[in-house]
Amino acid sequence: MIRFSKIVFTITVTLLIIWILPWCYQFLTTTKTDTPFTLYSGVINDFAFIEHADKGLTYKDVKNQVYSEHEFDSILPLFFYRQLLSEERLPNRLFGVDLTPRLIQTENFNFRIDPNAVNTPSIGLYPLLESMSGRVDLEMPDDVFRLSERMEFIDIETNAINEFKTNVFTQMLQKKGFKFPAKSIAGNPTDRKEYDEGYLILDAEHNLFHVKQVKRRPYVRKIEIPKQVLVQHMFLTEFKNRKFLAFVSDSQQRFWVLETQTYTFKQVDIPSFDPACMSMSIIGNMFDWTIIVNDGKTKRYFAIDASNYHCIKSLTYEEPELTPMQKFGLYLFPIQLYFTEPTSPLIFPRWTLSWF
Amino acid sequence: MKALFYKEWIKTRWFFLAAALVSLTLCEYCLLNISRITELKGAVHVWEVMLTRDAIFIQLIRFVPFLIGILASLVQFVPEMQQKRIKLTLHLPYSQNKSIGTMLLFGILLLTIIFFLNFLFLIVYLNQVFALELVSRIILTAFVWYLAGFLSYLLTTWICLEPTWKRRMINLLIAVALLRVFFLSETPEVYNTFLPFMVLYTVIVSILPLWSVQRFKDGTQD
Repeated sequence: MIRFSKIVFTITVTLLIIWILPWCYQFLTTTKTDTPFTLYSGVINDFAFIEHADKGLTYKDVKNQVYSEHEFDSILPLFFYRQLLSEERLPNRLFGVDLTPRLIQTENFNFRIDPNAVNTPSIGLYPLLESMSGRVDLEMPDDVFRLSERMEFIDIETNAINEFKTNVFTQMLQKKGFKFPAKSIAGNPTDRKEYDEGYLILDAEHNLFHVKQVKRRPYVRKIEIPKQVLVQHMFLTEFKNRKFLAFVSDSQQRFWVLETQTYTFKQVDIPSFDPACMSMSIIGNMFDWTIIVNDGKTKRYFAIDASNYHCIKSLTYEEPELTPMQKFGLYLFPIQLYFTEPTSPLIFPRWTLSWF
Repeated sequence: MKALFYKEWIKTRWFFLAAALVSLTLCEYCLLNISRITELKGAVHVWEVMLTRDAIFIQLIRFVPFLIGILASLVQFVPEMQQKRIKLTLHLPYSQNKSIGTMLLFGILLLTIIFFLNFLFLIVYLNQVFALELVSRIILTAFVWYLAGFLSYLLTTWICLEPTWKRRMINLLIAVALLRVFFLSETPEVYNTFLPFMVLYTVIVSILPLWSVQRFKDGTQD
């Protein structure tokens, strides 16, 4: 018994040492890594960025041409349109399109995919908003649904199942060929948005469905997925311009746009993207998108043509080389144990073996 | 065993009642808080906050089981060590491991009853107002805190029964680091995958106090 106690003690101390010491060392030797704010400019047909320098901000492009703040606003007219508007410098026409503040505002969007959110355990209850209430503001519903062997609605006030609504929605889903139980679901369950597109649901046979509530009735639409595409992650967009229903990633780590009007998948011309371990930010306007993919080691920027999703330009910021102290740390602590990581909120022991 | 259990009961009964009362009162406070928000803003708001903002409404009791575990151990074992009463227990015509094991078992049972009452109280109320998914989210999140209560009891006992101060300090540092693992995140359900291993480890750690007792019996000194 005492020998067993000693073994437990030794293992415990060893695990704590390989957890705490590398953590302390990293805490002391971590250096600040800053990548400049970068955007694609259609005006100069290249990336432009804002750098933090000793004397304040410097505005440059990749050819190292320096701009004044005033000039920088002009080369990114759709991003800084409010500034240009206040100075009465907003161009009336750009690339053959008549510009109005309202049009720019409608077409501009920001979108972020965070692996932390992707890896967060889901509760499995979803509010289904009324997408055509006739009111300007959306309202949270007084029920939620779960996807089990049927689409089960639970009345929040009574905490009881609403059998009528459950049957109506379940029957409609089954009529459209939906096979329970669902594999995954994506939506934006909030009333703080312009309009509601309900949910995208993958059924048991990997078929994709668009489900929403229209005038208290179910709207269910089966979406044709291109052959050899196995949908893995879906992100409903609900942007102001209503052009895109969702962004989708598949098992081959390809990135797709699902268009609202035609329900067609269009591949975005970027290399592999895995939402479970990479973050993505998209800053888009009516002509081009700047897509930023961060895998923790490199930050890749892609300028995408908004009309056909082809890549116009790309730029990569490599992670700065390890400092001598950081390199020494890898030799000092060949085995490192950690319970948290930046891409997942889950607490679980993970290891890195730096000598191998 | 019966006599040892009775001895431990005499020693800890007031603490047991106080701990049960305080923890249940705090649980009741959390539940009243849910009722109050429901009355003020409606059930839809409460559910929405839980679904979209990681709220579980019982954060107040996060460290309560942990503190109860420490206090239970102190109430049970500090008098034994201060007045060297443990010597008498170890001289009983009963195996040393069985004696200490019985005392530990008593403490664990005591905590189990208090924690079970807490869970029962929470589950009965929460089941009435929340769907199963939300109840399990709250309970699974709280389970880690209550498990920390058992671990803090076992580790405090390990420290209390240790005869030397130098080693006590080392044990204290190890205990702090181990318990830190249970409080790394406030996000609900993030321990779910790790939970079975944490339960297993907590069970294994119950063996550590026996080593301290052996060192005490061997007459180890600073």
